[in-house]
Amino acid sequence: MIELKHISKYYEKNIKALDDVNLSFKEGELIVLKGVSGSGKSTILSLIAGLTKPSRGEVIVDTKHISKLADHFISLYRRENIGFVFQRYNLIPSLSVKENILLPLLPMKLKKEELERRVVEVTELFKIADKKESLVKNLSGGEQQRVAIARSNVNSPKIILADEPTANLDETLSLEFIAMIEELKSKNRTIIIATHDPLFFNLAFVDRVVNIKQGKIV
Amino acid sequence: MFLSPEIITVAILDTLIVLFATLAFVVALAIVKSWNRDETTTYQYTLEKRAYLGSIIIKYMLSLKILLFLFYIFTLDKISFVLPGAMCAAGVVNADSLTTPLLFLKLLNLYLFFYWIVIDKEDSEDEQQPYIKLKFQFYIFLYLLLIVEIFLELYTLFGIDVKSVVDCCGAIFSDKDGSYIAKVLEMPKEFLLLLFYGSFLFMWLSKGVQNRYLFSLSNLLFLLIALMSLIAFFGTYIYELPTHHCPFCLLQEDYNYVGYFLYAVLFLGTFYGMLVGIFPLREKREKSSYRYSLFFNTLYTLIISAYPLHYFYVNGVWL
Amino acid sequence: MTDKFNPYLFKYAYGVLLRSFSKNLFIFITLTLLVALLSATLFLSSSIKNEYTTRVSNQADIIITNQKAMQYRTFNLNQLQRVLNIEGVKSARGRLYGAYYFEKADKKLNIIALDEFESYSNRLLDETNTELEGASMILSAQAKNLLEEYYYKEYFNFIKENGSLRKVPIKGILKSKDIQKRENLILMRSELFRDIFDMDEREISDISVTVSNPDEVAFIAQKLEEIFPNAKIALKKDTLVVYERSYNLKSGFFLSIFIVSFFTFFIIIYDKLSGVSSHEKKEIGVLKALGWRVRDVLEAKFYEALLLSLGAYILGTFLALLYVYLFNGAILLDIFLSQNDTLHHVAISFTPSIASMILVFLLSVPPYIFATIIPSWRVATTDADEVMR
Repeated sequence: MIELKHISKYYEKNIKALDDVNLSFKEGELIVLKGVSGSGKSTILSLIAGLTKPSRGEVIVDTKHISKLADHFISLYRRENIGFVFQRYNLIPSLSVKENILLPLLPMKLKKEELERRVVEVTELFKIADKKESLVKNLSGGEQQRVAIARSNVNSPKIILADEPTANLDETLSLEFIAMIEELKSKNRTIIIATHDPLFFNLAFVDRVVNIKQGKIV
Repeated sequence: MFLSPEIITVAILDTLIVLFATLAFVVALAIVKSWNRDETTTYQYTLEKRAYLGSIIIKYMLSLKILLFLFYIFTLDKISFVLPGAMCAAGVVNADSLTTPLLFLKLLNLYLFFYWIVIDKEDSEDEQQPYIKLKFQFYIFLYLLLIVEIFLELYTLFGIDVKSVVDCCGAIFSDKDGSYIAKVLEMPKEFLLLLFYGSFLFMWLSKGVQNRYLFSLSNLLFLLIALMSLIAFFGTYIYELPTHHCPFCLLQEDYNYVGYFLYAVLFLGTFYGMLVGIFPLREKREKSSYRYSLFFNTLYTLIISAYPLHYFYVNGVWL
Repeated sequence: MTDKFNPYLFKYAYGVLLRSFSKNLFIFITLTLLVALLSATLFLSSSIKNEYTTRVSNQADIIITNQKAMQYRTFNLNQLQRVLNIEGVKSARGRLYGAYYFEKADKKLNIIALDEFESYSNRLLDETNTELEGASMILSAQAKNLLEEYYYKEYFNFIKENGSLRKVPIKGILKSKDIQKRENLILMRSELFRDIFDMDEREISDISVTVSNPDEVAFIAQKLEEIFPNAKIALKKDTLVVYERSYNLKSGFFLSIFIVSFFTFFIIIYDKLSGVSSHEKKEIGVLKALGWRVRDVLEAKFYEALLLSLGAYILGTFLALLYVYLFNGAILLDIFLSQNDTLHHVAISFTPSIASMILVFLLSVPPYIFATIIPSWRVATTDADEVMR
């Protein structure tokens, strides 16, 4: 259960990214935030992930007021609950697939066996198990996409956030991505996708489409 | 003015410490003045970030201070060679009437800095961050002590006069002088031993009753009495000389540097012990503090008792 | 007590260093060189000090030189007894030595008169394997060469005070490496010496005293001052202290140069790191988005700084050791020793000084880590969402 109450967000130089936004998401929902770049949809994702704090208002996730938490706890919250897929993947090219996938888990000091287990689990789920040891820079666009999604799932998050995930993909890869999202939806994850790619607007398994324009919901 | 490379090193590192400590001080002032959990303004977020800076600076400073403290003792020992009359650090310490209080201040500051870190941990593990203002108020006080300490340190180190003759520890730690050291040495040995083992027992008892204030107090007593008994009684068995009471000669090579080990154990044990009484700790940390305290203090007691016992075993008589 | 070590973050930090190798190379090399230079200086300094200490420790604890109106005079052997009477004196001995002015060459020939019990001369003798018979002498290589220059190959004519000549055959050459190669040294028997310089059989150049308990040296020196109020009483310890102080001064000088370069370096590091590449900012932003806390980022950055500075320290120290042992501290050593230093051409045995290594460590690793605190913190606390745009 995610709630954004009277959220406003200002950046330096008086850029108003969001203006008195109210939103709520139910568990297991798949929501598409529709809007052009700069409309504020990425900011909503950042707020839900706790990557930034609102200038005004509150963000509440499962009764936790995450906008008021100290960094220490927000990060823990994020580590346990959120999986993020970035627009440009943001993988580290000189590291291997496995190393990239494990990045979120490094501070947790888990046992080696546990880490191995999780890597195997997600690489198989997203079908890149055979490329585990390859360096990311040697992979194709589609393969990198799958690594990015795998990484976002390695901590078994309840909420998956995707920011313009298909902006740099051709249609085939975009469709592959949508298939993977469908798979995740079937596992009852709450999924929020910020995009202006029309491919997402008429999908059957999308629960809601929210329109955002110039920081306000329309 | 006597400038050895060691003194210059201490001076440089002290300068670094003062610089960063002052930065942390500025941060502390801002937080004590303006921190408010319920406001969600940008300024509060900036303060939160600055709190991290303060925290990390203080942690680094503590690590460096520990290293420097050891190095400082080592430097004192080395300088003793150049000062006419001094045989060990005791002579250097006595060369200036300020050096002895400085030593105590340094020890106190080490303890206090450690406490700060514990409070910091307790604070950051609680979502409400209940101690954030408190810990930085504490730091402001600590900062002032730190400045005094460093000022004294530099003042005394740079003021070492190689021409004035100092007493060697034999003269300082003798019972001829009217000083408080002499009074300690005049006490009957049996009484001191009684106090020593008594405070040790008191410590275990207060753990048994689970009263953290008593436990803390017993550790403080134990620390003071241990130091007194070390000078008056146990030290003589380490040196195997009934008139050698110096607490610094232990640190020298002749005695296998056992002084460093003994003092480390004693200070660690009493540090953890005093911690439980000063601050309401979370359960896990409180438990481990009790454990560490008892472990180190017992270790100290066993080892220090072994010296006279060993002597008696070998020689058949007491000193 | 403190957060336990996280090996994964450590490995990650190591990886980051390798990946941004070229960016860090300049810093790494400079730091290494600074460490190497400072270490070499301190090693040389402590080696020289040790060399002096060993040499001086062979000497007597106290040397009493007679003076009248602050001018040098010889002693009489009778006075030796007064010294021996002092409690705590292990032994006292009259020494006989001096110098002969070789006019033609305008050079001084240093002469030590041999006593059967004089340890210094005896050691030299042992090494030459020559018996010093009554009226002959043994020369150092330098002296031999000098005399040969003036065609004295088998003997030398000393001109005595009364103008007559004393011909002394040359028996052998001193091979000891203890002798400064530049010192024109001659050994001969006491009787011969006294004859050449017209000295009484009870005259001695000075008195050397050995004390049984080193802690009592100052005390005995005091007593000697009472017995010989005009004499100069030189303590072995004082010589050492003088050397120690003079080398401290020199080390201090080098250290100051080091400090200046280091502070400059500090500023450069700080400046460089503050301009953190957007690439790094992005990577950190990603990590934070993935769930890394500020403290995790700081921990990783700390490991990074630690690895780099520690690596530079180890490499720098190693280079310094190499330089000092393999190249015998060429160039730097000459700068260190003053012009007429007696150690100039002697093989100095180099001893690695742990104290120096600790000192250099304290002056390199912690300051570097401190220099990285603020840049690391800035990077670690950037709002991750800035990275998204």
